[in-house]
Amino acid sequence: MAVIDVEHLTKRFGKVLAVDDVSFSIQPGTITGFLGPNGAGKTTTLRMLVGLVRPTRGTARVLGGPYRDLARPWTRVGALLDASGFHPGRSGRNALRVVARASGIAETRVEEVLETVELTGAAKRAVKGYSSGMRQRLALACVLLGDPEVLLLDEPGNGLDPEGMRWLRTFLRQRTAEGKTVLVSSHVLSEVEQTVDEVLIISKGKLLAQGPIGELAAGAGAVVRCRTPQAERLEQLLLERGVAVNRLDAALAIRGPSAADVGQVALDHGIVLHELLTEQVSLEDLFLQIAGTRRPAE
Amino acid sequence: MIDLLRAEVLKLRSTRTALGLLIAAVAVSVIPAILQLSLAPAQTFREEGVAGMLGAGATVVPLLGLVFGILSMTNEYRHGTITYSYLVTPRRWQVIAGKLVVCFVVGVAVLALVGLLLYVTAAIGYRVRGLTLNVGSIAGDDPAETVALILLAAGLMASFGVGLGALFRNQPVTVAGTLIWALVVESIVFGLKPVVGQYLPFSALEQVVSGALRVGPENGVGLSRPEAFLVSLAYIALTSVAAVYLSMRRDVT
Repeated sequence: MAVIDVEHLTKRFGKVLAVDDVSFSIQPGTITGFLGPNGAGKTTTLRMLVGLVRPTRGTARVLGGPYRDLARPWTRVGALLDASGFHPGRSGRNALRVVARASGIAETRVEEVLETVELTGAAKRAVKGYSSGMRQRLALACVLLGDPEVLLLDEPGNGLDPEGMRWLRTFLRQRTAEGKTVLVSSHVLSEVEQTVDEVLIISKGKLLAQGPIGELAAGAGAVVRCRTPQAERLEQLLLERGVAVNRLDAALAIRGPSAADVGQVALDHGIVLHELLTEQVSLEDLFLQIAGTRRPAE
Repeated sequence: MIDLLRAEVLKLRSTRTALGLLIAAVAVSVIPAILQLSLAPAQTFREEGVAGMLGAGATVVPLLGLVFGILSMTNEYRHGTITYSYLVTPRRWQVIAGKLVVCFVVGVAVLALVGLLLYVTAAIGYRVRGLTLNVGSIAGDDPAETVALILLAAGLMASFGVGLGALFRNQPVTVAGTLIWALVVESIVFGLKPVVGQYLPFSALEQVVSGALRVGPENGVGLSRPEAFLVSLAYIALTSVAAVYLSMRRDVT
């Protein structure tokens, strides 16, 4: 059974169609990247999942039903949606104690999660004195309070420095190693590239693609990079064979044929190659390619 | 629900808002009382007793309770903590109900404390000036009922603030708008058309207090204490229901 099941989810804010007929499901124990540029509809979708925003149409189910029907939901689903959602005058520890109390979670858990996010030393300080990275970690601590089986993280890397980002990646890998299901949204693709199993790609409110990164990358086709002093001639030969080629001076980016095919064409025509390699499609390339070729209707 | 109430109490204890309310309540009621007891001619006390002094406290402190109620709700929107409140308790009516209960108790408790301080201040002031403090002159035939009604009115005022805060959400607008309405608009309407003014929310609440303390207008205009109490209760119930209804339908973005 899918942990998260979204069907025809649509949200309109006045004239703005923020989310347009989005459907997807997420299986247990996976970490899924929810990718899209700013304003794509990621946050609105996540907020509809947990009942903060009412859908105009469609349904969102978490763990088999609407979020609001879960008993003690904070012990089942942890959602990081707003790292600034703490009273600035309250200490980090008290901010967590408030949430723990309201959810019926033992307050001993507060110290554990503070330790996990390495904020124990700053727990007494008012949140207004926290850096944005510390607030982000406090929000993650809040999400972990109930040791939930599902984590919904909206741009968890916001405000984190490189060290914080590394910490976040480790954090996410640990959660999946524990069998948790994670849906993590981001517009910084490199942030999740090394971590996620599957991706959902959304743009202008429309879901463009869903699947394992490997499958999507295979569908997108690898790029062969080639460097030759006779780049113009090789480009011409490849174009004659109907291959898509981009040339910048002596460098060619070739999409479609394998590196062996390109090498054979070069050999057949006596073209000297200085470099020939197959480049793996990065998540960023994949995203740009999918968003570029499957533009949602304006 | 018990967990939710405990969380609400912790919210109050972990910021300075509640402490600020208490200090303000003591400052605006006890300090003027001390000045009055120190500087006013003894004849004033013989003629008016302590009714004016206690009446001022009993009127101003519930107003502070009202502001406190508004702040406790609008702070959630202002600082974005409403997101966690509704995530942890998705049944939103429970969040609002919890605040209504806790703010009611705080309103009652603060006025009880201020009332006690005022009484002690008056007792000391009267003794120092060689006067006799006659509480019976202001507490009426049934002092317990008088005290209970005044405390209840203070609690209801704080709960009213929660309802208004949940309805309007914008903190400065709600605080300023409510105070202008309570102190200016209703006073004008009451002055021009008492028959209408007596049914307005803050006038009704004030009539509960002033009727109980016998410090209100004695020209025959106004509601009886039970009537004023029922009108106040109706306003608070209506506001609370509207607040819950709208809160359940609004998006938290």
